[in-house]
Amino acid sequence: MKDLDTLDMSPQNPDGAASALRARYLAAQLKGDRREALRLIADEAGALGAEAMQLEVIQEAQREIGRLWEQNRITIAQEHMATAISQLALAQVYRDATAAPGNGKLVLVACVQGEQHAFPAQLVADRLELAGFDVRFLGADVPTSGLLEMIGQLEPDLLALSCAMPFHLPSLRDAVRRVRALPGPRLPILVGGNAVLTSSPVDEVDGTGRDSNEMITLSRRLLGLGS
Amino acid sequence: MSALPDDLERASRELRLTCDAGGVCTWADARAAQLLGIAPGTAFKALASPGTEEKVQQLLTRGRTQPVHGWELSLVVKGTPVTALFAAAPHGDEVALLGSIVHEEHAQALQQVESAMSEMVGLNRQIARQQKELERKHGEVLRLNQDLEDSFRAVKAMHAELEDRADALRRSVDVRGRVVANVSHEFRTPLHAILGLSQLLLDQSDGPLMPEQRKQVGFIRAGAEQLSQMVNDLLDLSKIEAGKVMIRSEKFGVGDLFSALRGMLTPLQKPGSQVKLIFEEVPESLTLETDRAKTSQVMRNLIANSLKFTEAGEVRVSAAQDAAGVTRLTVKDTGVGIAPADQQRIFEEFEQIGHARDQGTGLGLAISRRLAALLDGKLELTSELGAGASFTLTLPRIHPEVKEMHEVTQRSQVLDPARQPVLVVEDDRKTMFVYERYLSLGGFQVIPARTVEEAREAMKRVRPAAILLDIMLERESTWAFLAELKKDPATIDIPVLVVTITNKAQKARALGADEFWLKPIDKDRLLKKLHAIATPPGMYTRILVIDDDERARYVLRKHLEAESEFKLFEASSGPEGVTMANQHLPNVIFLDFLLRDQTAFDVLDELKANPRTRGIPVIINTAQDLDEDQIARLGEVTESIVSKEHLSRELAINRIRDALDRAGVKAHRSDA
Repeated sequence: MKDLDTLDMSPQNPDGAASALRARYLAAQLKGDRREALRLIADEAGALGAEAMQLEVIQEAQREIGRLWEQNRITIAQEHMATAISQLALAQVYRDATAAPGNGKLVLVACVQGEQHAFPAQLVADRLELAGFDVRFLGADVPTSGLLEMIGQLEPDLLALSCAMPFHLPSLRDAVRRVRALPGPRLPILVGGNAVLTSSPVDEVDGTGRDSNEMITLSRRLLGLGS
Repeated sequence: MSALPDDLERASRELRLTCDAGGVCTWADARAAQLLGIAPGTAFKALASPGTEEKVQQLLTRGRTQPVHGWELSLVVKGTPVTALFAAAPHGDEVALLGSIVHEEHAQALQQVESAMSEMVGLNRQIARQQKELERKHGEVLRLNQDLEDSFRAVKAMHAELEDRADALRRSVDVRGRVVANVSHEFRTPLHAILGLSQLLLDQSDGPLMPEQRKQVGFIRAGAEQLSQMVNDLLDLSKIEAGKVMIRSEKFGVGDLFSALRGMLTPLQKPGSQVKLIFEEVPESLTLETDRAKTSQVMRNLIANSLKFTEAGEVRVSAAQDAAGVTRLTVKDTGVGIAPADQQRIFEEFEQIGHARDQGTGLGLAISRRLAALLDGKLELTSELGAGASFTLTLPRIHPEVKEMHEVTQRSQVLDPARQPVLVVEDDRKTMFVYERYLSLGGFQVIPARTVEEAREAMKRVRPAAILLDIMLERESTWAFLAELKKDPATIDIPVLVVTITNKAQKARALGADEFWLKPIDKDRLLKKLHAIATPPGMYTRILVIDDDERARYVLRKHLEAESEFKLFEASSGPEGVTMANQHLPNVIFLDFLLRDQTAFDVLDELKANPRTRGIPVIINTAQDLDEDQIARLGEVTESIVSKEHLSRELAINRIRDALDRAGVKAHRSDA
């Protein structure tokens, strides 16, 4: 009995586990070994948990890819390939994760017109959904007219817009302005993405999320769900 | 530098420029100006995509000290992202840059691949989402199932609780019934003493009474009689409520019934009464086939009631029967009448309207209404205050049980060769129906007999494979019938199953009593019985009384002491009685049914166990109205004992079949 007490039943050094996995995942990504990358995710998802897999493995690996390109150690083509694998990996984590009980709130997530970087928005969409939101992710480069149409159709409780590249900021501002011009109750808008974080604040939005955690917190607060 | 033809020059995506140490362009070729829009004096880094300035700076810094190759840059030219591959090398203080713009289509192709990828992942995600939804719904269905199961369990629990409560209610009703019965019984013992002793006084056997004393004792006796009637009514009521009352139907003329009622009730009228009791003429064809005693009891109650509340005028009793056999027996009086508000109330227990100037228990109408229900009829009242009352007992000409019985009898008329006939001697029709149902399911044919006489008749017609005998039936003659069967060589081998109402082995044990008598003991009957137990002339008839009630012994003693040929022994307990029986070998034993610490069965067991006392006739006398199950006694000639309590259950038929089996009777002749 005594022995049992002294046993540490918790996973040993979870941070270490995540970074070790990330290294292997990144290596598979760069080799273009999609199968290996997805297998790693599948094998370890149970032990690590969906959130750690999303944030500490996949998202961190994507950041590492960016750093590697900056150091000119990989090419943009490799970056694209790696991102495609991460998209798949995210999808796999999403599929196997257990969502929190639904809170009945519908969130519309979209990349603004022209914005091709869907990965961060996808991550936010997945995490919102697993946190209990009902999420519709419209994908990359959503034409503003299409966005307005979807808002009319779905009548979401919240709109989350992603803008990664500064040269898409005008289309973000345009989208916000046109959503605000819609009749009916004021739709809360959250914005995120690298472009938003480095630019001056966007007018008429209800919050800016630096990462997926902040997006979840802000969404809950705006919709009065508590934290 | 431009040695190529113009076409090729235009197709080229290569560009050259130089920058100073601060990264400001010092020279740019035509294509650099054209493709990047850069001109001397502008900072090369300004072209960098946001967030990639550092990589541009790296290229400039490294290129000043050493050659750099294949440095990929992400630039923004006139708002459009452009990817370019650069080489750099030191050029004096400056850095020389050779760039190659990645073909737009190349970049676009990558873009396309990525968005196609995205879309596919999106599709994949939709499927995953649908799957999740399905799983969620499945979970919901499971939860719903669980909920259903839970509520089902809850309903079951609720049912069980209801059942418990119903049981508790039944028990409390049962307890109430038993309390009434027991209290009534407790009342009876002292009442009988008063009745017996006051009668002794009135008989003046111990000396004459003064006229005034006679009057006083007369009042005492009348009071006790009234109380006794009340106790009997209460017992009746509790028996009906307990469902212990059986219907014993017979066919009788209503005219005969009225004659009997007239004989019974005329003496009830006070001498010089202003009320005429009239029984209307009833055609002889007006007959009923139902429980005569109960019908009579209802009518008696109604007539007595009317007589009580009628000062002058008449009480008229009439009868009518319609084509459907619905029979109305009406008692109409010219008495005080009953106000509409009171008309329902008078059927409740202990309700009497107006001044209770007359004697009465207040139970008569309540009992009558219940009896009417037992007869499958009803009791109705029409009346106006001051204008007399009219009570009508409406009942079917033939009691439903009788009708069903006719059908059973009808079926038994034709013998089915494939079935073993079983003679069932049972006077309770309901029980008979149960036998019929179960025994025919069991492959037997029931030959019903409701009396021993009918049984004898049936035996002439058919030789049954077995006989089921209800021992309560006509008591003595049942035993005689059983003895007959067992004496006659022709029938000795027919197994007889004695059925008793009890399932208690103790009570079902052989009970050697010869008669049951109900207290108070009637003197004439007592003497007649004792004379019948013949003793040689000149010898005492020895009588042993075993009773723990001193008053009961005293009354018996007083009854007998005038008769010189009897010698009385008294025992106040069971064991004492057994000892005295052994010692004095009495000719007859009077045994109280309920002794303080023993039942008559215990005493009987001991008496019958001793060869010396075994032959002594025992008369059970009791102040208690015996349940039929307590009257049960069984001979050693019986093959089995079956409890009526279980008859309605399938168990009973199995037990009967087992018993038949043991007796060597098989259900089907083909099996035999």
